[in-house]
Amino acid sequence: MQNRTLEVGVGLFLLAGILALLLLALRVSGLAATPSADTYKLYAYFDNIAGLTVRAKVSMAGVTIGKVTAIDLDRDNFTGRVTMQVDKKVDNLPIDSTASILTAGLLGEKYVGISVGGDDKLLTNGGTIHDTQSSLVLEDLIGKFLLNSVGKDAKDAK
Amino acid sequence: MSADNAYAVELKGVSFKRGSRSIFNNVDIRIPKGKVTGIMGPSGCGKTTLLRLMGAQLRPSAGEVWVNGQNLPKLSRSDLFDARKHMGVLFQSGALFTDLDVFENVAFPLRVHTELPEEMIRDIVLMKLQAVGLRGAVELMPDELSGGMKRRVALARAIAMDPQILMYDEPFVGQDPIAMGVLVRLIRLLNDALGITSVVVSHDLAETASIADYIYVVGDGQVLGQGTPEELMGSDNPRIRQFMKGDPDGPVPFHFPAPALDADFLGKR
Amino acid sequence: MRRKTLTDRVALFGHSAIEAVAILGRSTLFLFHALFGRSTSGGGFQLLVKQLYSVGVMSLAIVVVSGMFIGMVLALQGFSILSKYGSAQATGQMVALTLLRELGPVVTALLFAGRAGSALTAEIGNMKSTEQLSSLEMIGVDPLKHIAAPRLWAGFVSLPVLALIFSVVGIWGGSWVAIDWLGVYSGSFWANMQNSVTFNTDVLNGVIKSVVFAFVVTWIAVFQGYDCEPTSEGISRATTKTVVYASLAVLGLDFILTALMFGDF
Repeated sequence: MQNRTLEVGVGLFLLAGILALLLLALRVSGLAATPSADTYKLYAYFDNIAGLTVRAKVSMAGVTIGKVTAIDLDRDNFTGRVTMQVDKKVDNLPIDSTASILTAGLLGEKYVGISVGGDDKLLTNGGTIHDTQSSLVLEDLIGKFLLNSVGKDAKDAK
Repeated sequence: MSADNAYAVELKGVSFKRGSRSIFNNVDIRIPKGKVTGIMGPSGCGKTTLLRLMGAQLRPSAGEVWVNGQNLPKLSRSDLFDARKHMGVLFQSGALFTDLDVFENVAFPLRVHTELPEEMIRDIVLMKLQAVGLRGAVELMPDELSGGMKRRVALARAIAMDPQILMYDEPFVGQDPIAMGVLVRLIRLLNDALGITSVVVSHDLAETASIADYIYVVGDGQVLGQGTPEELMGSDNPRIRQFMKGDPDGPVPFHFPAPALDADFLGKR
Repeated sequence: MRRKTLTDRVALFGHSAIEAVAILGRSTLFLFHALFGRSTSGGGFQLLVKQLYSVGVMSLAIVVVSGMFIGMVLALQGFSILSKYGSAQATGQMVALTLLRELGPVVTALLFAGRAGSALTAEIGNMKSTEQLSSLEMIGVDPLKHIAAPRLWAGFVSLPVLALIFSVVGIWGGSWVAIDWLGVYSGSFWANMQNSVTFNTDVLNGVIKSVVFAFVVTWIAVFQGYDCEPTSEGISRATTKTVVYASLAVLGLDFILTALMFGDF
């Protein structure tokens, strides 16, 4: 019958599906991210990585320069070891840079923020960031607050 | 055992069960070649099942079904496919493919079984439609046809491959006198002109008797009687007589089994 | 008429249980034969294209309209709740994740079961009752390959495509409501969405779900048509069964799949 219309219709239908998939991939999920070929590996050890997950972003000055690729426990020091893949273009990180686990916004997820140090020597592939600041844990924060206020009361009482 | 060449179809000792119900028990039927044979019987006696057994849509629980010298239930898939080229079936409602037009419906078996070029297919389709008197309807869709016309197109489709056996499943049901006359004429004409064997399953006594050369009367899972229409009319068998004469009461009773009259009307049920 | 005793009811129940198992077996054999059996006639591709059109393309209208409305409602509801926590910018990611992970595959499957599934069942049931399937058999064409198989494959391909289109249209509808109407800043709408939607976990899992649903819904629809009583009452019963069983199956499978994919607890 209308064979031509049929075939064109079906072809368009399938095309629409592929287009939808592409749209979802690129615009909705932001798939066009840093391909892992152009990155180098860095390690950082934290006392507490609470809340940080694999694939969290690594950023400096608010700009995303990489992502977390693995989190394991260092059995010898009982610290958390975070593996990161950082964009090769950011190859001038001094070895005394700091890595901190920060929170993005009120409901936000944890991410790793890197702030520069001042050393001449630079971090290379496989290097380790030694200066780290752990994730903020709510209980510690409350404890610190209580301790502070108790201390203050004690001081005032004297 | 092999088939006898005077018969196009032979059912030997065929039994058929549906679940635990026995539909046929050790039935022997022989359809002579080149003739119109009727299979008749009361409603629900399994006449259509017989057709399906002959067409290898169903397998018998026991016995052999010989068609054109081949034992159908024993054939392989591809042999059965080839055997179907030589059989044509006209179903009760015509069973045209509703999504194809008349031309494509009649051409369908040709496309499935042959690799003929389009011009030849067109010629054959038009010839078959001409034989049933519907060449002018070639571009219509099935839902634009009347019931009688649908059956005629289905008949054209059934003879598309020039089969050796044509089977008709209740062709006369619900037809007006003109359509009936057309069909009766076509069945006889095709049988004689093409030299094929026709098997007509029907419970329409008058029409079947007028065209059949031989009739089998079937009931209660077996053959009740067989013979030419005249022989059956004068039969002694009470069941055949009830059927042929159309008596409302006889071996097939009028009353459905019920408790005694006074139990229902005078006493408590 | 004797009233049904307890024994009668138990016997009936046992009978239906056995019948259910028989149906499962029958439908599985049916599926295997239709998908993997040898075909006796050609023209399979033509038939597939025709079915893709009638099953897929014809369902586009309902999928697009529903997707748009659902996306818009999601944005409205999401906004009203999230803005209470000062997180209105998260509306984008909420709409996208809800659609991609759940509503896209599930709602599309339910709509498909209702529209295309019931149409398939009715069509095949009608072909059965007018003896078209028997005719095919007598001509030597296997109805399972000629009628059932193209429809099965068409369903398997169409539903995932429809689900993707549903999600895209929904996200677009949601963005229109959120950005143009409710005043969410378009930059943060899309950026938050891109940050939280991962292709592998969210988009692909959604596609996997819709593939599973496509398989189940089409299988049920085509089998019910094939297996029905060839009367008009039988066809209507079969059509109802298709919609009910397919919908329940989709919802049940959705729970299982979601637990498997997203429940890493």
